[in-house]
Amino acid sequence: MARVGAGELSKLAVLFERHHRALFRYFVSMTRSRELAEDLVQDVFFRMLRYRTSYDPERPFTAWMYQIARNASLDQAQKRGAEVVGIEEFLDRRAEPVSPAPGPEERASRGQSLALLRRALDRLPEEKREILVLARFQGMKYEDIADVLGCETATVKVRVYRAMRALEQIYFALEKEKAS
Amino acid sequence: MRKTILIATGLSALAWAQEPEKITMPFSNPAAPHKVNVDVFSGSVTVKGYEGKDVLVEYSGGGFPGPRRRAQEPAPTGMHRIGGNRAFDVSESSNTVTVKAGGPWGSDVTIQTAVDTSVTVTTLNGRQISIDNISGEIEANNTNGTVNITNASGAVVAHSMNGRVVASLNRVPPDKMMSFSTMNGTVDVTLPADAKATFKMRADNGDIFSDFDVKLEAQSAPQVVEEKDRKGNTRRRVRTDGTQTGSINGGGPEMQFTTFNGRIVIHKK
Amino acid sequence: MTCEETKRLFADYWSQSLSAEDEIALEEHLGGCDACRTESDRLGALWNDLTRLPVEEPGPSLRTRFYDLLRGAGSHPAPARKPQMIWRIAAGVALLIGGGLAGYSLRPQDPELGQLRKEVSSMRQLVALSLLQQQSASERLRGVSWAYRAEPTDSEVLGKLLEAVNGDPNVNVRLAAVDALHAFGSSTAARSKVLGSLEMQDAPLVQVAIIDLLVDLKERDAEPELRRLAGNVSADAGVRQRAQWALERLE
Repeated sequence: MARVGAGELSKLAVLFERHHRALFRYFVSMTRSRELAEDLVQDVFFRMLRYRTSYDPERPFTAWMYQIARNASLDQAQKRGAEVVGIEEFLDRRAEPVSPAPGPEERASRGQSLALLRRALDRLPEEKREILVLARFQGMKYEDIADVLGCETATVKVRVYRAMRALEQIYFALEKEKAS
Repeated sequence: MRKTILIATGLSALAWAQEPEKITMPFSNPAAPHKVNVDVFSGSVTVKGYEGKDVLVEYSGGGFPGPRRRAQEPAPTGMHRIGGNRAFDVSESSNTVTVKAGGPWGSDVTIQTAVDTSVTVTTLNGRQISIDNISGEIEANNTNGTVNITNASGAVVAHSMNGRVVASLNRVPPDKMMSFSTMNGTVDVTLPADAKATFKMRADNGDIFSDFDVKLEAQSAPQVVEEKDRKGNTRRRVRTDGTQTGSINGGGPEMQFTTFNGRIVIHKK
Repeated sequence: MTCEETKRLFADYWSQSLSAEDEIALEEHLGGCDACRTESDRLGALWNDLTRLPVEEPGPSLRTRFYDLLRGAGSHPAPARKPQMIWRIAAGVALLIGGGLAGYSLRPQDPELGQLRKEVSSMRQLVALSLLQQQSASERLRGVSWAYRAEPTDSEVLGKLLEAVNGDPNVNVRLAAVDALHAFGSSTAARSKVLGSLEMQDAPLVQVAIIDLLVDLKERDAEPELRRLAGNVSADAGVRQRAQWALERLE
């Protein structure tokens, strides 16, 4: 095993400061668990240290980081035996929302619809949710997302569109459920 | 008929206080780390951890200037007492609830919040700060008065300029530093018997007591010092220059105890 | 343009990365096609709403755990007492990091060691500086304890420690920072700054600590200020007593 120089450790610290928040949010959106998200962030930095030689400076750094992030997440999911939920099954799933609905009912109706949106996002099948998280929350360019996911840029754009359609369907179904 | 004007803008309520005022303030996102900041000019502050999610704030100010315990005369029919310069403000932003109570003639603020909240309390001319059953991080700063912390399970950083600092911890988190200090007063801390910690202790004019088995490190040589006390008489004192370092149960995260006039007592639970 | 082609442009439309001509073509189609236009409006609104979702922030332990890991990776074998830290990390990874540096300790003559020491200390500096900016007093305390181990010539850490002494809102952090300054005694710049700190400090406990530090540093230039404090009736009695004692020690 190659020795770890402290110079590399301080570089890692800089990377940590720059990226750990975004990485955390990505994992929270994907796993719906803050605790798991924290563990996964640690895991990603270990892996970045361990596989640092595999980084190709020609590629954008975030693409490499998110690829590692996905691998870490997949390994975790395998351990937990998690299932990927198809859009048709979402109504049966008792998904735990990460952020509970806002408290007092006097809150603006917009507050309520945001909570509903959050729950709809949580109930999206994983691949659809991921592409929205990467595109909308991490602010990644479609070409970089294509790099991370290992597909064509055009495919990413179509998948974004389909994910938004699915999100809307779930959102309206939740609204109807609430009203009834 | 005069009416009290209560201005509520969104999540902030500025109240010309009557007695007692009760306000409920929710966090934007109770699942994420949340904090309560209390800033009181003069008066006592009590914070208790409870099972609910929102922050409950109860405020009772004294009346007009005068003896603190004077009973409030009932208001004449149809009239409301108009407070003086007792600004009382509770607001929430980015998951931090801030409670401010100004006013020179004392106010008592009682707060209930979720047990895992991080709590910071500062008073300028405060009487007592009491914090009970909190597992988040606790920061308490009193100027003239006691700091009394009970059933704490998180990191504690406490100070009083003139007053005792008393704390009882249910657990010592393995990765947090703590500090207890006062200029004039005793520092009295209780820890679980199996707690692992490293102490840095300094009592300039007082002794250090503990029922723990504290392994001390060698300290610098004491010196005999001649000082003049208040009456102008010369007296001799043995002064240990600097801090003493010791550890319990093999050592652990660092805890600092500092007092100038007073003793340090570290209890085993 | 067909509806099919239009929908393929939506993703770029929402992220405002459409080329000018594509945008014109798209809007033309939307102008004439009700179905596509309603879908574009609805999904576009939802796209905007997504950014209004409250943002999750990590708790402070995330950073703590990461820096604890670095610290474990960068530290030399512990000399006297070893603070117990609980590592929530697979043992295998700890070995990966720790095992690498154990190699260095076996060959103290290694010329790379000097370089490594420099890099380790710059890493410590990084950690100290980062922790010192934290909102939490307990984290800033840790920042000071990291600064304690910094090189006495490290001017950035010195600056941060002095800032902490002069301006940290928490008295305990200021006390700890004064303690850490003991290590910087050899620097003349540091000593005059410490004296400056005494002049502007208002917390009696910290004043006492700074006075002790000045005595330790044998800073004779402090005498005028100490005399002023000793004679100032409105200063804290303990502070005056300590200033008096300091004057005697410095003679």
